[in-house]
Amino acid sequence: MFDLINPSKIFYWIEKLINFINSIFFIILIIAMTFALVLSPPDYLQGDSVRIMYVHVPSAWIGLLSFTCLAFLSILSFIFKIKNLNLITKSIAPIGLMFTCLAVLTGSLWGQPTWGTWWAWDARITSMVILALFYVLFILAHKLIEDEYKANKISSLIAIIGAINIPIIKYSVDWWNTLHQPSSINVYGDSYVHSSMLLPLMLMLFVLLLYCALIFLMKYKTEIIRIKKKNIKRL
Amino acid sequence: MIQNFISMNGYGIYVWSSFFATFIVCAIVYYKTNKTLKKYEKEFAKELSELSEAERKLVLEKSKIASQVLASSNKSI
Repeated sequence: MFDLINPSKIFYWIEKLINFINSIFFIILIIAMTFALVLSPPDYLQGDSVRIMYVHVPSAWIGLLSFTCLAFLSILSFIFKIKNLNLITKSIAPIGLMFTCLAVLTGSLWGQPTWGTWWAWDARITSMVILALFYVLFILAHKLIEDEYKANKISSLIAIIGAINIPIIKYSVDWWNTLHQPSSINVYGDSYVHSSMLLPLMLMLFVLLLYCALIFLMKYKTEIIRIKKKNIKRL
Repeated sequence: MIQNFISMNGYGIYVWSSFFATFIVCAIVYYKTNKTLKKYEKEFAKELSELSEAERKLVLEKSKIASQVLASSNKSI
């Protein structure tokens, strides 16, 4: 099964996918932006500030999703010792860090008009900052440790330990009294967001996921070339 | 109408800052990632060209990735 992610088999498709995403990205972005900024209605309580949700929520979801992938692949890498999985996690981590930081930043910009403060040491916000720190540790492990085997081992360990934080982030709004509202969208239950707002939210999520895929593929391709370049004489 | 769209009923500064920050960060990351990728492609192509004719042929025959990188690097030039 792991042969399917063999770089030499998928390299050709990486190039094709990058070109495909590049060709459709701006059209979908313009549609999503039109829905988010023009067509979706203002909230009856929060007014137009609710539009921040269209970048804040997808950013937070991507930050969480990326770390979940990172932890899962790190566990697989620990068990099966597949080098390629480390290349994948190395390519995911900067994307996750970027979106976690964006979620915190846009959350702060949303907090000022709704809560009257830019920042609060609230359980949800603090656990998101801790998530960003885990991302930083993961990236630093790769940057600072020269021995690649050791760097992979330590970064995988960081990802596995950091995974404990994921359910804490998810359930922080239920376990503690927080300024942050409880989740309004449930995969397995009722969602409390009207379809006129849910559609732009999903469109923005799709656009940002496409962007993530694009950056991931470019980073992964760079990693493959870096390895090939190192081994060019051995080829 | 345009005035209303920009001011967002007084929330414009927060809404536009959020969108602007997101897209500026995304654009910078895209630019940097693309630049690094092109740099590695170029360096790889350069190292290949520094090999002897026989060695280069062998590398290109043995590695599909090497020939694909060389092709895409030639395209970008």
